[in-house]
Amino acid sequence: MNRTLSIVVRRLGSLVATLVVMSFIIFLLVEIMPGDVAQMILGQSATPEAVASLREARGLDDPLMQRYGRWVSGVVVGDLGESIYMQGVAINSILWRRVGHSVLLAMTAFIMFVPLSIFFGVLAGVKENKLSDSIISFFGLATMALPEFVSGVILITVFAVQLQWLPIVSVIPIGESIWQNLSILFLPALSITFVMFGYISRMQRSSMITVMNSDYVRAAILKGMPRKYVIFKHALKNALLPTITIIGMNMGWLFGGLIVVETLFGFPGMGSLLMTAIKTRDVPLIEACVLLITAIYALSTMITDIMYSYLNPRIRFQGGQR
Amino acid sequence: MRRIIGITLLILLIAVPMVFAGGDKEAAEEQKSVRVAEQVPGLITPGVWDGQAFSMNSSIYEYLVDINAETGELDPVLATSWKTREDGKVWEFKLRQGVTFHDGTDFTAEDVKFTIERTQDPGLGHLKKADFEVVASVETPDDYTVVVNLEEARPTFIYQMTDYNMAILSSSYDYAALGESRPMGTGPFKMQQMIPKESAALERNENYWDPNLPHLDRILIYFVADIDASVSMLEDDRVDIVPFITPNIKNRLDEIDGISVISPYQEQRFIAMAVDQEPFDDNRVRLAMKYAMDPEIIARSVAQMELGDGAYYNETPIMNALAEYKEIPHRGRDIERAKELLAEAGYPNGLSVDLTYASDHPFGRELAQTVQELAAPAGFDIRLRGYTRDVYLSQYWLNVPFSITGWGGRIDPSMLLALAFKGGGSWNETHMDEPVINDLIDKIASEVDPDQRTMYYHELQEWFHENGALLNVQVPYLVAINDSIVDYRQPLTMLPQYKYMDIK
Repeated sequence: MNRTLSIVVRRLGSLVATLVVMSFIIFLLVEIMPGDVAQMILGQSATPEAVASLREARGLDDPLMQRYGRWVSGVVVGDLGESIYMQGVAINSILWRRVGHSVLLAMTAFIMFVPLSIFFGVLAGVKENKLSDSIISFFGLATMALPEFVSGVILITVFAVQLQWLPIVSVIPIGESIWQNLSILFLPALSITFVMFGYISRMQRSSMITVMNSDYVRAAILKGMPRKYVIFKHALKNALLPTITIIGMNMGWLFGGLIVVETLFGFPGMGSLLMTAIKTRDVPLIEACVLLITAIYALSTMITDIMYSYLNPRIRFQGGQR
Repeated sequence: MRRIIGITLLILLIAVPMVFAGGDKEAAEEQKSVRVAEQVPGLITPGVWDGQAFSMNSSIYEYLVDINAETGELDPVLATSWKTREDGKVWEFKLRQGVTFHDGTDFTAEDVKFTIERTQDPGLGHLKKADFEVVASVETPDDYTVVVNLEEARPTFIYQMTDYNMAILSSSYDYAALGESRPMGTGPFKMQQMIPKESAALERNENYWDPNLPHLDRILIYFVADIDASVSMLEDDRVDIVPFITPNIKNRLDEIDGISVISPYQEQRFIAMAVDQEPFDDNRVRLAMKYAMDPEIIARSVAQMELGDGAYYNETPIMNALAEYKEIPHRGRDIERAKELLAEAGYPNGLSVDLTYASDHPFGRELAQTVQELAAPAGFDIRLRGYTRDVYLSQYWLNVPFSITGWGGRIDPSMLLALAFKGGGSWNETHMDEPVINDLIDKIASEVDPDQRTMYYHELQEWFHENGALLNVQVPYLVAINDSIVDYRQPLTMLPQYKYMDIK
């Protein structure tokens, strides 16, 4: 137990270090982005005078480190600043609503693709080289090969345009909340499932095959244990390890990087907010979004590591993962 | 066991979409609502408003006068009458009485004075600062009279008051703190709820000064970053109006019943040739470029429309929709003549030049490619340099020899001429400094007699046709609307007038 605790503490430490380094890199990257935010805000009719006074008013002319310091000191106490456009509106009031939507979408997708791909992966692994394996593997490869903007369009065409079961776009009608419009989650989640299914089911299949051919499983089968018992009690736990790593590594993407999917469906989540922020050079908002996504990535990797060490005692007892 | 799990999963897979689909409901509303999908706006406070979210701002704010979308004449709004003295040097406005702002305060002459004086606020970066530097003082003899004294005569000054950044603001409202989150004016609709970067709900202003307007109860505006997503919303009957669509989308929507695409007005794209840089410092090179152009091909390939039907081409800064326009027949495409001119100018083997433009601005890339293709046979080797619009405007515009820039139309083009074609003008992209044109622009600005003014305009256009450094392509501004919407009005000021709109 102490070992696990020390792993957690050490991982938390490196998480904080990662975030500090990343915050600076994000700040620098946004800084060297081409284009001028004041020019962008004011448009073509901006005179040089107007651009200069806007830069002055927004503090864009201050030295780099001073601006970085100002930003970080705000972030530390939870103040992400104001959008460069919406003066008087805190980013906190824009961002968290979108994050909530994105989390809901990520969870819906997660509930859909994780059991589905693990189940079919195990099935394919157990039935290696049989017909069901071929079908599952073919389907997995096919969906994996389609980028989400292609599978998304196909899904829209089938479910929204032809069958008319689901809305074409995933917008929340004005005056309603997302809870009254859960149907908008399904198509984006399904297109994420398309991307993830092939990936995870293939990983699950190959690790299942490896485990099923290992000596201890063969011994268990030979000594007459029921096959179901062997698969679910002995093989599955070990065969899940690589799959969990893959799922964990994709959690960051799932919770913050769904820019293409959200934009395609017009879903009001964090990905489409980031897209808007980048398009309009809304520097503080870009920084807030990217930092949050970084934090989610770091956190999900950490949770994966901890789960991994729980599932695999060898790592726990060697005192850290390699 | 495995079979049971398999079957369960299969059932789930089929059942879940149906459950979700069941959640889709249609709220039966008695209210008349119009739904709009617009670009995500930048700054929206009038003065620094960048010209997005027109449906929202034009419904919340009002102006002293409006342009009538049908006649092009001035309509009284917050000013009921106006007159000018001393040949356009003094302007007196009588204001409408009994008008209140959405926060309940009365609209008076103080608010007009505040709005005009605000243009010169050094901390604001007001976009109309240059145009209003001519104002010497603003007097308010009583609560409903405003007298504007100008430094010099400006017989067409009133048109400045129709500019979208000249919405009348309340002198007692804190626009610095609230302008972006709680816009407030005297308009026919008021802000009910705004979710930043996502949506805005406007409701009918019960205290609107015209008891017969507006016809609608609500305007629901979605801010959608992606135009394709906006069009999907229109096709899915989730919105009724989508502005700023492209010709490609228009062609697609033309096939769909119940949706129409209209073009309330046209915008301009100026292809500017800098007269103080090679190769366009020689008028023969500029003429050669003009001889290489084909207006019909430009209209078809850029706007996917016929010349004169939504798109237009001329070689002067004046739009063909304006009374000041002088129709000069096109010279006709003549590649041989263009080659001769180039040879005379010292380029017998043709020449290379960069054409810089904003690649993400509507029609920018199409126009650049068309010009490149049309000019090639005459010996112009044009290299295309496309940049995102902010990079283009901040780093290249006004500095490069050959460029394409978008310009909105103006009811009164005199100010545009002074800023863009007079020596020392702040947006002088052709770098022209011709005494004869400088003089004509000054005369246009100060001439009281409309007929004489029109004469000056004609003179200017003839000069441009022969010597100018400009190709002017008019492109359509396109709006897709559901056929149930009636009376969509939007004049050249770009401000849609939702108060007249109704639902069939």
